[in-house]
Amino acid sequence: MSGLPFAGFLVLSGALLAVGLFGVLTRRNFILLLIAIEIAMNAAILNFVYFAAFARAPSPGLPGQAIAVVLIGFAATEVAVGLAIVLALNRVKGSINVAEASELKL
Amino acid sequence: MSSLFDLAGTFAPELVLLAGALLVFLLDVLKLRRLELVGSVSVGASLLALALVVADLGFAPFASLRTLSAAQVNPSLSALATPLWTFTSLGLVFQGMFLLATLLVSVASLSRGSKETGGPIFFGLLLLATLGMLLVAISSDLIFLLLAIELSSIATYVLVGYTRRGLRPLEAAMKFYIIGAVSSALSFFGASLLFGAYGTTNLLAIREVAGTVGTPILALLGYAFLLSGLAFKATLVPFHAWAVDVYDGAPSDVSAFLAGGTKKVGIFAVLLVFLGPILFAGAGGSSNPFQGGPFTLGPILQVTLGTLAVVTMTVGNVLALLQKEMKRLLAYSSISQAGYMLLGVTIGTAPAIAGATFQVLAHVLMKGGAFLVVAGVAGLGIGPLVDDWRGLGSRRPLLSVAFALLLLSLAGVPLTIGFVSKFVLFSAAVQAQGFFVWLAVAGLLNSALSVFYYARVLKVIYFEAPPAPLPTGGAVVGGAGPEPLRAGGLGIGRAVAIGVATALVVALGVDPQPLLGPIQAAASHFVFFWR
Repeated sequence: MSGLPFAGFLVLSGALLAVGLFGVLTRRNFILLLIAIEIAMNAAILNFVYFAAFARAPSPGLPGQAIAVVLIGFAATEVAVGLAIVLALNRVKGSINVAEASELKL
Repeated sequence: MSSLFDLAGTFAPELVLLAGALLVFLLDVLKLRRLELVGSVSVGASLLALALVVADLGFAPFASLRTLSAAQVNPSLSALATPLWTFTSLGLVFQGMFLLATLLVSVASLSRGSKETGGPIFFGLLLLATLGMLLVAISSDLIFLLLAIELSSIATYVLVGYTRRGLRPLEAAMKFYIIGAVSSALSFFGASLLFGAYGTTNLLAIREVAGTVGTPILALLGYAFLLSGLAFKATLVPFHAWAVDVYDGAPSDVSAFLAGGTKKVGIFAVLLVFLGPILFAGAGGSSNPFQGGPFTLGPILQVTLGTLAVVTMTVGNVLALLQKEMKRLLAYSSISQAGYMLLGVTIGTAPAIAGATFQVLAHVLMKGGAFLVVAGVAGLGIGPLVDDWRGLGSRRPLLSVAFALLLLSLAGVPLTIGFVSKFVLFSAAVQAQGFFVWLAVAGLLNSALSVFYYARVLKVIYFEAPPAPLPTGGAVVGGAGPEPLRAGGLGIGRAVAIGVATALVVALGVDPQPLLGPIQAAASHFVFFWR
């Protein structure tokens, strides 16, 4: 476990998560929001790949890589549903701007 | 080959739901889209699955349930040495409660009128979401748990906006989706940090190694991210804002399912993830409290969760006082109820977990029933505001009595299930001594506070004059007043669902023992298992 460039990699994935969350908070276009969510999701996937490479002694690191592949598939599924919602919203409203979604008061 | 049959037998309830969902989608493709047909498939599948789960609970002694793990089913899997699922009696109890919610919503949705389109989508997604919930209840691996949560979440994102007509459901679906996706990203990030800290995502394995190995700071961060992700799903307070909009904008039957069903998934996930660290508190003996990460910080974790619980119930109750719309009022009350459930999880003793579980059961019946009443009342042509319900007591006596009983139970009036669950929960908190007594006091004060807004609704229903001349016997009085009630009434399915929910609320309030006993046994087994 010694000699890992721990901090460096964690800063990278933490930065990815931060960029994603910042995008979610600032972007008003639904498509860009989806991209931001994907970036945040990829931070977790990157972590799994990274930690799998430096896994603890008995396990061969396989679970982490398998999880990463599964999560990539999951992320694609999630985006598919998001795009379906965008399409339906665009059809009804003619706009995919999140800020204009004001039917429900906050 | 026999192991395959074992597997099928082990997962019978889940397979029944999957088959039901596929059958519904098949009927959709074959253009057999009648609401009654696809609805009966959904009712049948959830009833059969419920029967299987109850049978599992009934036939086996509580100590040795379907304890078939992945390694036992397929020895070659044991190389991974991490069972993805573990059957515990408490998990089966939660499965039963999830199925109960699905059953109520399915039965009620049978009477939504034949002009309703999208029946197959609704019932198919309902069954898929329930499948995800059932998998949550048996999971013992973080990734399995989170993916199961996502299975139910993704199905419910679509469920909220499935009508594709009108802006409100679609906007609710959009908000639900964004919040849900962000929270899942946070949860997975937390899981990845835990994987980095302990080298495994298996909750049982983490409990084994925790306190001795691990990178404490990674583990702490991991649990923090995981908590924030799961708190979104469970509508705990800093992460609750979406729930009100979504419950408000979604079709009311879907709101009933969200409040009565999927939200408890978050509660159970919090229980599953955090019970290990909490219970470890007693066993810890390390001189440096930060050495084992969260596993030696149990008390701090309990204070965090306890604060979250108190804040959740208080904010939910105070904001509910200010609401003018019925669905938003119920949504906020639902948030405050999540606080009570978290209270039981925080304490972590067997009686407290039994109390939280009973509170979940009570909430499935009370809130599911209440949202079903709201859906039915909307079908009668009554508006969304609380004031629109004026005089419902004289116009719809039976429906009003049912709704009144459900609200009284939410307020915790004796002889209803809501009283029993709070009694069990708060007495467990008092038994646990110390800090938890204050949690019980906060809970009691909150219960008293909540009486105000429930009483206001009851006053509106029973002691204020109806807004229009009384239609007789539910028939339409053509244009006599501004708001004549529509003919046709609730429909049989909805009436049955509301009736069953109300009857159970009262019956279990008068004599809770038939269910409270097994739940207590299951809770103590669960605590024993995770200690």
